[in-house]
Amino acid sequence: MAAINSQPASQKPAAARKITPVVPEAVLEHLAKQIRPAGICLLLLRPDGSLAWHDHLSGVLYERFLVPALKHTELLANQLRSLVSKLNGQSPIQVWDFVPGAVLCAAPVMDRRHLIGILILAGKREDFSLDEDVLRVCSQIGLDSIWLGQQASHVCAHGPDRLTVGIGLFVTMLSDRLRITGLEEELNSLSTQLANTYEELTLIDTISGGMRVNRSSSDFFRQACLELMQVISVRGMGVVLSNEKIKQEAVLYGDLSLPPGQVQRLAEQLLATLSVKKTCLLINDLKSDKNYKWLGEHAQQLLAVPLQRRDQILGCLFALDKANGSEFDSVDSKLVTSISNESSIYLENAILFGDVHGLMMGLLHSLTSAVDAKDAYTCGHSERVALLSRHLATLVARPDHEVERIYMAGLLHDVGKIGVPETVLQKTGKLTPEEFDQMKKHPEIGARILCDVKQLEDIIPGVLYHHERYDGKGYPTGLAGRDIPLMGRIICLADCFDAMTSNRTYRKALPLEVALTEIRRCSGTQFDPELAEAFLSIPTDQFRSLLRDHQQQAKKLLELQETLRSA
Amino acid sequence: MSVKTILVADDESHILHVVSMKLRNAGFRVVTARDGREAFEMALHEKPDLLITDYHMPELSGLELCQKLKEEPSTSNIPAIMLTARGYQLEPHDTEKSGILCMLSKPFSPRQLLQTVNEVLEKLSTKS
Repeated sequence: MAAINSQPASQKPAAARKITPVVPEAVLEHLAKQIRPAGICLLLLRPDGSLAWHDHLSGVLYERFLVPALKHTELLANQLRSLVSKLNGQSPIQVWDFVPGAVLCAAPVMDRRHLIGILILAGKREDFSLDEDVLRVCSQIGLDSIWLGQQASHVCAHGPDRLTVGIGLFVTMLSDRLRITGLEEELNSLSTQLANTYEELTLIDTISGGMRVNRSSSDFFRQACLELMQVISVRGMGVVLSNEKIKQEAVLYGDLSLPPGQVQRLAEQLLATLSVKKTCLLINDLKSDKNYKWLGEHAQQLLAVPLQRRDQILGCLFALDKANGSEFDSVDSKLVTSISNESSIYLENAILFGDVHGLMMGLLHSLTSAVDAKDAYTCGHSERVALLSRHLATLVARPDHEVERIYMAGLLHDVGKIGVPETVLQKTGKLTPEEFDQMKKHPEIGARILCDVKQLEDIIPGVLYHHERYDGKGYPTGLAGRDIPLMGRIICLADCFDAMTSNRTYRKALPLEVALTEIRRCSGTQFDPELAEAFLSIPTDQFRSLLRDHQQQAKKLLELQETLRSA
Repeated sequence: MSVKTILVADDESHILHVVSMKLRNAGFRVVTARDGREAFEMALHEKPDLLITDYHMPELSGLELCQKLKEEPSTSNIPAIMLTARGYQLEPHDTEKSGILCMLSKPFSPRQLLQTVNEVLEKLSTKS
């Protein structure tokens, strides 16, 4: 007879967790094997008295003898159950002479306070003989009594005491086994929790590590969503930002996709819900939710958490559908909430950073416009030099942050002209040596103006050295070659080019081609040859498009200047 | 494909449990050791496909363990992933001297560890 343990623990889905533990078959097999030579048969009954496990390898004797006799065991089980409830957990052992000369010994198997099975040992008693009673039973169940007698003679006989001691030991062993299995499960669940905690910790660490304000917010949220999606295992994770300063269309990452426009619809509805609710929104059955029913066609579950600064909603993070078929729970919402808190800090910083940066750039542009305005002909010059310098820096593969600093240095390179008299700046004829000396002071004046602003210290080289020459014949210090900081060399080139291609008080603008030839001619003397080469590699139409945007701005400035002058 | 055996060595039992559970759930056969010497003996006996070891362990440190295994002909090809609680940096010659392919600092993400294990094993199987 095959074992009939109805549900082997290993094959059950995780969702349907067993409430009553099952005595592991392997343990029963092991026990049965040990006691088989002694002629003892092992059985396990369910608490209702039905057969749960049967030693199918034991002798035919007991198999044939016991199976019919099992009708007795239901009674036995009932007796045991009533005893168990009376004794409140202590193991009662019942000895039962089920046919003359054969003993059944039964004891309850407990897990904590629950009866989970009844273990039965069956053995032959010393006084077993094929007497009338046995023969009667044999004829009732259709067993050959002569064969039975032969089989029985091969089996050792046991007194009830021996069976009682034996069953006591076995039951203890089984309970221990069950306890160990329980503890192993507990250990596994603790390990799982610990693993999740590690996962969350690493996630928060990664997210806070990525909170640099100069990073684009879409980049930051993409990473946050992708990481979070893995950790809470969802099929879709999205973000929407609604702040006026940092705006981003709703994005949904992951393998769950919504029809076009639906992501935006969801985002808008979420923002509306969350701006009232202010805390996390968790819906595990979208189809039956009155507000989000429409989403039920595409997803089952939704978890959304607001991104907020004080009381203001900046946006929200949302997750759709657990990947493993489970439901969103408080662990998920807590984790998403802590990531959203981190993200809110990032957002707030990014907004503040944007404000401050915008303010600074605004002031810088005003300052350079003020300088350029001193001479109508240099209108927009600083801006163009800044743009050209930035382009040149990119061409020679400088890192992004340096490129931005070079742009700023380009903007401010002529700031020192504030200290040069307008009569000199706007003079149409040739400058006298004295006037030229005054003019030559503007890099140093510029450096002095900027040295008080700590945040601009690093761009001073660009301002101070933009009139140095590669051959060392420039001013103010006469540095040569690579001793001139790169910023200075780049701005020098951009400055000369723009000067040549713009109208001046003393001459008309040179055609682009002439200016480029001039740069080629002066490569190695006035200009860094490497930079000159990079510069000359820029296609001519790119120059035009690079500068076109700023011509308009320059025109506006010129008009403004005219208005001021006429007033 | 045969089931790969992974030896996990760490004196902190919670790490041992977390790592073994994650790997077992992913279908690997896992054997564990609580210190460097036990790990060394286990490695000789089990010939694992991969070793995941802590850096700081009693008896033998993770690095010493890897170097010892490298010297032994029968275990010299076992690749290793090192876990570390302090900021030990992997030097380029470490891989050559000890077979350590990468380091993960604690508390690591078990998901990342599993990913790393799969990558390492895949790389090795394509190489051979």
